[in-house]
Amino acid sequence: MIGTFFGVVIPYIAVAIFIVGVIYRILEWSKSAVPLKIPTTCGQAYSLPFVRRTIYDHLESPYTKWETVLRMILEIFLFRSLLRNTRYYIDRHVTRDARWLWLFAIVFHYSLLLVIIRHSRFFLDPVPWVVETLSDVEAFKGVFIPSVYISGLAIVAALILLWLRRLVLARERTISLPSDHFALALLLAITISGNLMRYFFKANLDLVKGLLANLMTFNVVKASIIAEQIEPIFYVHFFLASFLLAYFPFSKLMHAGGIFFSPTRNMPNNNRAEIHINPWNPPYKGITWEEYYQMYKDQLDEIAEQGYKVKPEL
Amino acid sequence: MVEPMEEVKIEQRFPSWRQMLKPITEKDFKPGYYHYSARVKDMEDLDLPFAREWNPLDKDWKLPPNWKEIFLNKMKEYLEKYRTFKLFMDICVRCGACADKCHYYLGTGDPKNMPVARAELIRSIYRRYFTPAGKLFGEWAGARDLTEDVIKELYYYAYQCSLCRRCSVFCPYGIDTAEVTWIIRSLLAEIGIVHRFSLISIASSARTGNHLGLLPGGVAGALQSAAEDVAEVTGIEIEVPVNKKGAEILFVAPSGDYFATPHWFVTMGYLMLFHEIGLDYTWSTYASEGGNFGTFISYELAQKLNAKIYQEAERLGVKWILGGECGHMWRDKHQFMATMNKPPKNLEDPINPITGTYFENAAETKMVHIAEFVADLIAHNKLKLDPSRNDHWKVTFHDSCNPSRAMGLLEEPRYVIKKVCNYFYEMPEHTIREKTYCCGSGAGNLADEVMDLRMRGGMPRAMAIKYVHERYGVNFLCTICAIDKAAFPHLLEYWKLPVEVGGMMELVGNALIMKGEKERTTDLRGNPLPGRGEE
Repeated sequence: MIGTFFGVVIPYIAVAIFIVGVIYRILEWSKSAVPLKIPTTCGQAYSLPFVRRTIYDHLESPYTKWETVLRMILEIFLFRSLLRNTRYYIDRHVTRDARWLWLFAIVFHYSLLLVIIRHSRFFLDPVPWVVETLSDVEAFKGVFIPSVYISGLAIVAALILLWLRRLVLARERTISLPSDHFALALLLAITISGNLMRYFFKANLDLVKGLLANLMTFNVVKASIIAEQIEPIFYVHFFLASFLLAYFPFSKLMHAGGIFFSPTRNMPNNNRAEIHINPWNPPYKGITWEEYYQMYKDQLDEIAEQGYKVKPEL
Repeated sequence: MVEPMEEVKIEQRFPSWRQMLKPITEKDFKPGYYHYSARVKDMEDLDLPFAREWNPLDKDWKLPPNWKEIFLNKMKEYLEKYRTFKLFMDICVRCGACADKCHYYLGTGDPKNMPVARAELIRSIYRRYFTPAGKLFGEWAGARDLTEDVIKELYYYAYQCSLCRRCSVFCPYGIDTAEVTWIIRSLLAEIGIVHRFSLISIASSARTGNHLGLLPGGVAGALQSAAEDVAEVTGIEIEVPVNKKGAEILFVAPSGDYFATPHWFVTMGYLMLFHEIGLDYTWSTYASEGGNFGTFISYELAQKLNAKIYQEAERLGVKWILGGECGHMWRDKHQFMATMNKPPKNLEDPINPITGTYFENAAETKMVHIAEFVADLIAHNKLKLDPSRNDHWKVTFHDSCNPSRAMGLLEEPRYVIKKVCNYFYEMPEHTIREKTYCCGSGAGNLADEVMDLRMRGGMPRAMAIKYVHERYGVNFLCTICAIDKAAFPHLLEYWKLPVEVGGMMELVGNALIMKGEKERTTDLRGNPLPGRGEE
């Protein structure tokens, strides 16, 4: 029973919440209007022919659609803006580059990507060669026995460092909400349990693979039978991961989808060349020239009498 | 007499997340940091709701009885109207990359001035009323109830942000605090809470065409005086076109340029340049304001003010529009104006009549920045320049927030300055270009009652100026923003830096060799030129 609950019922619910939730959130964002084109320009704009623009200017103050796409790619794959990070030393009043946060973040996210790619072996049969090769390379297969996946350890290290930032640094502690700690704790629990299962308390991987194959083909009965035979350690990991999926759409983890929508990054800086249309632009309410003229008739007529110009009186 | 120096202490505090959720009230408002309330007359002139006398230091702010309902309904409406608002409420992970990027946070040490914390002020309300987690878990999900104290806190901190967007450069998701602050200010305006400073100017501008409330005769008179000052320095008597129909170009400058100092010398620079190249242009009294304080409060007010420029361009039948030196004006003109108001049909391609250059980047809005225009003239050798007339200045350039982070206008002013000055030095790299620091007085914070906030907010910029002053002997801060020109003289005095402030066009005016001019013995300010005439 317990196996069926944690191996079949919970994951189905979690995945359903995840898919529906993420789609709902994305639809909600797309429903909101974008009244103004407000890119944050981080480089020289497209301008006169003799104004030199470096490659960075093209990427950070994009004028065309393709430059904007490249900017987004840099943001998403390289965390470009975070790479710019600096630190202000209040005692000396100097600013220096500070790239630790970028480093921790990039290690975490790329490790997560690798871990997810490696986990696809549980869902895919046959395992694609890309997944095999990638796993072999990152494990330096043949160097350590059994092979040690670097990404699995790096992700734990990165999460600990990211959490230490929030715990140790005064400013980061002040701005951290319980949900920030919770997300890190949850990810740590998932990654640590995964590593424990990989190296110490092994679960029967054939059964796990069988379970997931049957879940994916909605073969519920067979999945339930297999689920009852898998070791409990697997369910610790599996439940936490399911929980993460269900938690995802309600949390700040949605930043993964949100970054694509950010108007300060995904809009080109061609404001004066291509006018943006606001779908709810209200009509102008204010005085007209006629009203203005009536208010200040004398003075305006005087300017007219002078031939619409003023001359210095010396 | 040497004044005794008073040490400015920046007290940093790091409260717990729970304390951060607790609103501060009017009792905690510090003098020098809170803005006065808007005048009833201005509110009524602009048809803003719930005009009344109220004082931020009173316990009772005389909110309308159903203020909470209005606020939440409007919040819902804004979430649908602004994707930025909805998205930025949802995706912040509180990584803290923005925290020490805010000049107000650096200067005051107040934790709620961190951009992330400023957004959390309203985000906590968003969670409580618009998200399931906030409704269920309350405080533990970082949510809090909307109370009058929260409104007071929103007012206090929404007006301690200068919409400079420096934090948005560093945010990995591009979260723009200027959007969040703008929306908080708009929401507060819906329940009758607006600050005094901007609204006086907005009401003036809506009526007279400029923030200062100059009537047509005043604008014309100011231009006349400027022409007189030009005649004194150069010996050339310039006729200045005003409200002239059929001119090729409509020129619009921020109204500070009509009489403030050091804006005045910039105005002289405009007149000299346009005269020298024989430009067919006109000033307008109806569209006598390039700036737009409406952009500090709400979309509707911004639209009300920038509409006049296109209306006037249509009435006068000009071909295109040239804009002067101003910061937020160019956020408005570059990013807002043409979306808020349709350009009239009579406008044509913006082509420089002197050089034939087509300003392709202004193809649709038909509005060109003076720095682009002058840089183009210089690049085509259309100006005779004597940069040695600026040799008494060792110049540094302050990128104004909006031209740099909302427009990407970085090289044009530098190009011009380097051609008209022999001594130019950059401030440290983390304080210029897109990473430039605000003067501390932008977006309505030029109000005198927030002087402490302004002087502290300008601290990082002042420290950068101090660096180049001590290292290179810089004595001239060049900026292309009218608010900078008004703010920096105070700031530099406060931080004890003997550096003058001026605009790009002043330096151009100094260097410009005009046909038929007398030998210049002074610069536009009347300072004797070294090595010429009497000293």
